[in-house]
Formats: sequence, structure tokens, C-alpha cells
Amino acid sequence: MAATRLGVLSRLLVLILALALVIGPHAAWAQGKPIRIGEINSYSGVATVYTFPYREGLAMALKEINDAGGVLGRPIEIIHRDDKLKPDEAVKAARELVLQDKVDFLAGCITSAVGLAISAYAKDAKVLYFATHCQTSRLTWDDGHPYVAHTTNNVNQYVRVAARKAAALPVKKWAHISPDYEYGHNMWEEFSTYLKKLKPDVQFVQQNWPKLGEPDHSSYVTAILQSGADGLFSSLWGAQEIAFVKQARPFGLFDKVKFVAPAVGNPDELDPLGKEAPVGAITTGFAWYDAGLQKLHPKLLDWTKRYTEWAKAKGLKDPQPKLGASWGYASAYIIAEAIKRAKSTDTDKVIAVLSEGFDMDFPWGKVQMRGCDQQAIPPQWASVVKLDAQGKPFIGDVEEIHGRDVVRSCDEVKELRAAAAAKQKK
Amino acid sequence: MDWLTSLFPWITNGPLILVQVMSGLSVAMFLFLVSLGMSLIFGVIRIVNLAHGSFYMVGAYLMVTLVELLPERAWAFWLALVVAPAGVALLGGVIEMALLRRIYHREPLMQLILTFGLILVIGTLVLVVWGTDNKSVSRPDVLAGSVALLGHPFPAYYLLVLALAPVLGLGLWLVFYRTRWGMLIRAATVDREMLGALGVNVSALYTQVFVFGSWLAGFGGALAAPTVAVALGMDADVLITAFVVVVIGGLGSFAGSFVAALLVGLLQSFGILIFPAVSIVLLFAIMAVVLIVRPWGLLGRPEDAH
Amino acid sequence: MLVGLAVLPLVAPAFFVVLGIEIAIVALFATAFNLLMGYGGMVSFGHAAYFALGAYTAALLAKKAGVAMLLALAAAPVVAGLGALLFGVFIVRLTATYFAMLSLACGQIVYTIIFKWTGLTGGDNGLLNVWPPVLFKSPVAYYYFTLAVVGASLLLLHAIVTSPFGYALRAVRENPRRARFVGVDVRRHQLLAFTLSGVFSGLAGGLFAFFNGSVFPDFARFDKSFEPLVVALLGGMHSFFGPLAGAVGFKLLETFIARQWPVYWPLVLGSVLIAVIVLLPQGFVGLVEGRGWRTRPARPK
Repeated sequence: MAATRLGVLSRLLVLILALALVIGPHAAWAQGKPIRIGEINSYSGVATVYTFPYREGLAMALKEINDAGGVLGRPIEIIHRDDKLKPDEAVKAARELVLQDKVDFLAGCITSAVGLAISAYAKDAKVLYFATHCQTSRLTWDDGHPYVAHTTNNVNQYVRVAARKAAALPVKKWAHISPDYEYGHNMWEEFSTYLKKLKPDVQFVQQNWPKLGEPDHSSYVTAILQSGADGLFSSLWGAQEIAFVKQARPFGLFDKVKFVAPAVGNPDELDPLGKEAPVGAITTGFAWYDAGLQKLHPKLLDWTKRYTEWAKAKGLKDPQPKLGASWGYASAYIIAEAIKRAKSTDTDKVIAVLSEGFDMDFPWGKVQMRGCDQQAIPPQWASVVKLDAQGKPFIGDVEEIHGRDVVRSCDEVKELRAAAAAKQKK
Repeated sequence: MDWLTSLFPWITNGPLILVQVMSGLSVAMFLFLVSLGMSLIFGVIRIVNLAHGSFYMVGAYLMVTLVELLPERAWAFWLALVVAPAGVALLGGVIEMALLRRIYHREPLMQLILTFGLILVIGTLVLVVWGTDNKSVSRPDVLAGSVALLGHPFPAYYLLVLALAPVLGLGLWLVFYRTRWGMLIRAATVDREMLGALGVNVSALYTQVFVFGSWLAGFGGALAAPTVAVALGMDADVLITAFVVVVIGGLGSFAGSFVAALLVGLLQSFGILIFPAVSIVLLFAIMAVVLIVRPWGLLGRPEDAH
Repeated sequence: MLVGLAVLPLVAPAFFVVLGIEIAIVALFATAFNLLMGYGGMVSFGHAAYFALGAYTAALLAKKAGVAMLLALAAAPVVAGLGALLFGVFIVRLTATYFAMLSLACGQIVYTIIFKWTGLTGGDNGLLNVWPPVLFKSPVAYYYFTLAVVGASLLLLHAIVTSPFGYALRAVRENPRRARFVGVDVRRHQLLAFTLSGVFSGLAGGLFAFFNGSVFPDFARFDKSFEPLVVALLGGMHSFFGPLAGAVGFKLLETFIARQWPVYWPLVLGSVLIAVIVLLPQGFVGLVEGRGWRTRPARPK
């Protein structure tokens, strides 16, 4: 008797569960208490050229997710805060979001300093933080911990792709120009060590460390010309790199050296450069308009159109997709997926999912969220700067190299963390 | 000598040293152009115009808009180069008459903070009007290429800058020391009340000077626009540089600004050959040394003790 | 008011407690700054340097040498004061604009050193995880602690400005020559004021380091130097409690506007500053005290 009653009860339970599962994901049920994400980024001043497209990519993905019923039957709600490009402001905002707005997760960052600062706070406050926009490798490697996950690629991945292309060039003597702060040093360090490993006979003949935001680089250009280098690596970005290219060109620099510049292929630099773009430079931009790439990833064209419409409707002055927009879009889906897999917004459960890792398909290819360091490993693209018939620059000869083919292995990350911990103790 | 050549392989390469000197000089001339207006306004009105970099930025953005609007002809660039700074001069005039004029009698501090407020206001307005994207202007075709300098290419556009800056400096000097207007302005810096008592309209004189100083800032921005990215944040970079040059040279001294610009440009140019990471330290190190040894700058006058 | 401040953590949400800590620290920084500006007639454009010296001293001692928070915090004003004394020797030789310029240059030197000396200071990534010990870790505990330290400091500062030294300082501001004639050593008074101002700025910096759990080169940058200036100006520089009122107003305004419209915050702040300078020379405290909208006559020269 007892056994059958139990059987009926359990069957009833299964039925209810199944019903819940069928009905659960529907929009009507998405009215539950929203999952709140506190997002901190630079939304005033200089960095808005990157953060506005990023924010729209994020918003578009969230709209899609919520329209499809949200996650765990709950919509995702995002609260943005401006960090004014200052890490102390970011920490303050993070604290406020956790204490006052009771967010479930933190997200955001554009500078490495901000990312590392929020990460340190998250570790201390035991809140899970998704770094979405900054690229320093230290986040998940040297200074990694369970409470931080990085949803976009890190410096190591795209610099190694650039170094791989650089190693294939008939160039032995390299010079570099990098802004004199952590990011610039990190870039040069990664590039030079990997290049040396791939091609042991390269020489590094000259270094240039202009300050971040230096307006005039003429003296650096002539110094590079004097050094006898036949290759130049640049970790400049944005307005500073535009200025450098415009100033270097009439000195004949790009006729004398092969130019490798990861950032130069992005539209925020190529479009203003126009016909002054450094044709032939090797770069790592996001060539969403490339026919080959669209063939490789059939869904890319459709995403591009949807994003452009979205950005236009939101009043962005330049609605074309940017790398940042794809990062924002991917980040939203990765966060949602982690919560979905954890079946809970509980920090420890989501961390458990992240530490196992998972793969996701995006319109631009497969992104691996690696478990050992909670680091995203997306596809990377090496390309070459070209001019079209109207004299408008674009990037072509796109070659896809997946991040997992170049990125440091889990064992190497372990070593980095051990070294960082030893340094901390000392 | 061997150790020298092994340490600095470039030292025996005459033509390259020449190119290095020339690039240092063009850096210096940009610095001079940028600092001239700031120096002028301080020299006469005794205001350190912190919004100087903002005026420079507006000049560059106006240049972008004008070149976009005008037909693609050879003269368009030159017309824009004239009109853009005029727009900035107008802006300067409005600000002087609406705001600054009301507080000349107050502590110098108030004027400083007011111009600091202007930085914030103008910076936001530029973002709202022109958006966040980086912009750029092409050099006019005549000056787009390079000229050979002992077999090494050198940007033709910099020759324009190398010529214009000293001419402008000299012109200013002539205006100040050879015209009646210049004489009045110099008189105003010494004793404003006395000049007023003599029946000179000092208030109009101040407006003229501020307008002219704004024009210089706008001209610097318009002229530099083809060599940089016109972008948010250029105001702060320029302000700091101009400020340091003006302080090293001596507040209010044209010749001082010229000497300081040369000093900074050339030290930077050769400094980076020896210490590649010197750039970030250099400006303020020179400034500190000068201020400790000669607090009123290389060619400035000591301030009258109250 | 004291009761209000004491019970705030019991009635208000945690967020206001954190905001309260920040306001208290900014108020101390601005009051220290105003010792120079309001009482000494000297405008420093590089005061962030002493704030940063204090913050970095506290953070370095706590993090690298494992010194206890209270001890690290006690060292902050000492080092900042020594820094102010060192730079002050050169700075107080100058007046008005030149004074402001050299103080700005000195501030930028401190900034550059902090930014470049990555081995010690962590460069632009700063020093992270400088949290207070468990006892003071919760915002409420640190709130009471900050309130006590800032309250005691303000009492001390008030005692300073009402001491003979304070009156001599005002005499120096109004008429240095006359002050010299009646036997006041002008330079020495100015240097002492500069150093004291540095001491309390450093203490504010130390408090901020443990509040924020981290320190960054930004603390020394020139735009940070404008913070106490703006706060003192908004509140009213000719009243001892002006900077305190300014800190409350400024932080509330910033918190609510910068969050809603981040892009427009600089526009609002800039416009308010310009309006206060042109219309309200006494700051908001002046308005409350009924000294009105009129421009007061120029300071006698």
C-alpha cells in the first residue's frame, strides 16, 4: 500500500516538475523577480567611443534574452554605473551596487586598473564579477581567483596571433612603440617573448615609451628610423595611434618597416585615418564585413544587420558593429548561460559551473569559457590593412586563428599564479 | 669616442641627427603655437586660462566640420584654417563679456576656477555636438607628401608649421612693441587704473586680448588637426603641455615661451634616444627645476610683492 | 546634529553609511585645504599630492610591512606633513598665481613618481586589498571610526584657526606687509599653515585608503586637487564649516546626478561652479547666512 501511494505521489511530482519545465521558460513566466547585474564602465568623457557601442551590444543581447523568457524564468536587469575612468570610483560603485542595489553579480570595466580593482573588491566581498571589456591577462591569470570570470579575450590571445604573423615576416630587427603604462608594458612583454620563442633569431633593437596621450610623436618616428629596425610593433590605440600613423607616414616610416599594430584595424581608427591608413599593416581587428568571414560564419551577416538597426534606433552616430559591440553582446549571453547552467543565481553554484567551463556558439564562431581560469577564449583574426577603390580603408586577407591554439595552457596559468603568490609573500 | 658610438650608434650619422633635430624643432613649434595664446592672456589680463586646451579642441573640431562641409577643393582647407579659429575667437569673446568681465576685480583664484568650470562645460558640449567617434582632417594635397632632407624624407606639412610659428611670434612681438594698441596693452599690464583714468577703454582692451588669445588657441587646434586625431580628451593633453611651456618660459613672456618650447622639444627629441621612457617624467622635471631656480620662469618677470 | 550622525547607521540603508564615510573624508580634506585658502589666502593646486602621500603611506605600511591599521594611519599625516614641508619651503616663497603654479608642478611630480615607481606603488594598477582589520571592516564600524577621527581633526583645526597663530595667519592674508611690520614672520607662518594643511590632507588620504580598500595614482593627479577647492568654494571659503557643508552638497549632487546622467555630470558641475563664482561669492553657506547674492567689495590689496 505504502509503496503505491509513494509511487502516485512521486509520479504527481514528476508531472508538476515537467509542467513547470514546459511552461517555465515562456515569456509569461519571466515576470519573476529580475536577476540584477551591476555594470560598471566608463560612460562619460574619453572612453565613450568604445563603451557606447559596447553598451548597445549588451542591451541588444539582454533584450533578446528577456524576450525569449529570461533566465530561470526571470528577466535580467542591468544597472549601469560610470567609473569616470578611475579605479577608486569603480570600487565605490561596486560597493554601492552590492550594498544598496543588492545586485546578484558585478560586471564591466574598460581599463585594466578598473578591472583589477573591481576584481579585488569582488574577491573580498565574495560577489561574482564578470570582467567584460578590459583585456589585461592579470585578471584571470596572475591575480585570478574564483570570484572573477573574464568574458572577452585577454591581451595574450590577440598579441600572440599578431606575433605569429610577425614571425612569418622576413623581419629580424624589431622596434616597438607602446604607451608608458601597465597595458603598454604588458603588450610588449607578451609580444616580444612569444616572438622570440617562435623565431629565436629575432633582435629587439629599439624601444619607444611615449606617455599615454602624447600628442606629437615626430621624435619617436625619427628615432625608429635611426635604429635600423625593419619591423615595428605598436601597442598604441585609439586617438594616439591615429596621431602616430598620421605623423609617421610622411617620414616614410611605413615604407621602411613592416608595421604590426593589433588595434589599427578597428573602425574607430581606420575610418578617421581614411586614405592615410597604413596599408599593408598586420592587425587583429573584427572584419564583420569580410566575405570570407561571413562564409565561414553564416549567421554573422544577419547579426551585423540587426546590430546596425539597433544602434541606429538608439541614436549612435556611427552604428556599424565594433569589436566592443560584439564583446557586450557575447558577455550578456555568457553570463545568462552560466546562470542557466547553474539553475540558480547563487554565487557558489555559478562559480561551480564556470570552473567546469563550457562552449557557446556566437555569430562569429565558438567561444570557449575555460574552466581552469574562467577565461573566455574566442576566435581571433589576423588581417591586413588595405584600401578599396574609393580610397576607403578596410581589413582583408582575414585569417581565423582560434584563441585556444595560441593561448597559455592551464598549466602555464598555474605557474603564473604560483609566481604571483610567491611574489606577494615576499 | 668609441664608447660613445657604441652607446649611441646614431651619433656619427649626420643626416639622421639633422632629421632628429628637425622633428624636435617641429614638436617645439607646435608647443610654441599652443602656448602663445595662454601666455598672451596671462601677460595682459593676469588670468591663467585653464580653458585654453578646450578652445584648442573646439578649433580642431570646427576644422573637421568645415572641411567636411566645404566642397573638396584645394582652397577649402585654407578657408577652414581661417574660419575655424575665427569661430573660437567668437566663443572667447562671448565668454569674456558674459562671464570673465564680471569677476576681474576678484581674487585671481576665482578666475582660475571659472576657467576650470569652462573646461567641464565645453568638454561635455563637444561630446554632445560632435559625438564620441575619433575624427580627422587630411592635409592639403600640396603638403601631404614629404620633402627630401639630405636624402631622408621629412613631412612637408611640418615645414609650414616651422615657418608659421616663428612668423606669428615675430608678428605678435611687432604688434606689441611697434603699435599703439600694443603699447596700450603693455600699459594695461602695468597699471590698469591709471590707463582707465587716462580715458582708455580698458574693458574693451581686455575683451580684444581675450578674443585674440582664443583665436590663437583655435588656430593651434586647427593647424594641428591634420597631424592628430581630433578626439575627446585632446583638451587635457594640450592644456598640460601648454601650461608647462608657459610656466617654464615665464608667464606672460612670448620670448620665454619660444625658448621653453625649443628646450622641451629638443630635450624630448634627444632624451628619448638615451632614455626611451623619459617622456612621462621630462616635462615636469624641467618645470620643477626651473621653478625652484627661477620661480618666475626663464624669461618672466618676478611678481610684485603685495 | 551629533545625535543624527550617531543614529544614521541605525535608520538609513547601508549605502548612506558608505556615503557618510566619504563625505566625512572629503570634508576633512577640504577643511584642511581651506586652512590655506580661506585663512591663509594661499591657493594650492597640488593638494592631491599630500592626500596621495597619506594614502600611499598607509597602504604601503599596511600591505608591505604588515603594520596595524591604526599605526599605518598615524604614519600617514606624518609623511604627508613632511612632504608638504619639503615642497612648502619652495612654494611659500611665491605668491598668488606663481604659488598655485609651483604647487601644481610639485603635485604632478608626486603623481609621476607614484605612476612610474611600479615596483613599490603598483603603477597605474595601484595597491589593492588594503582593507581594515575585522573590527572596523563593516561599513558601520568604519563609519563610527571615521566620524571620530574626522570630528577630532575638525576640532583640532578649529582650535588652530582660533589660536593666535590662526589670527596671525589671517593678518598675513589681509595684508602681508602690515603683518610683517607688527612682527609676524610671514614666511614661517605660511610654511606652518602649508605643512599643517598637508598633515590633515594626509590623514584624509589615509582614511580613504582603508575606506576604499585600495589606492591609485589618480589620488595625486591635478584633477583630484580641484576637489577640495570646488568643495570649499561651493560651501563657502570664509566660514570654518563652509567646506563641511560643501562636502555634503557636492557629494549628494554627484551621487544623484552622475548616476542618472553620467555624460552630463561635468556639464552640471561646471555650470554650478561658474554660477557660484559669478553670483554667490560667499558659497552656499553665505546664502544661508543671508549674506546674499551681491558681490562683496574686492579684497583690499
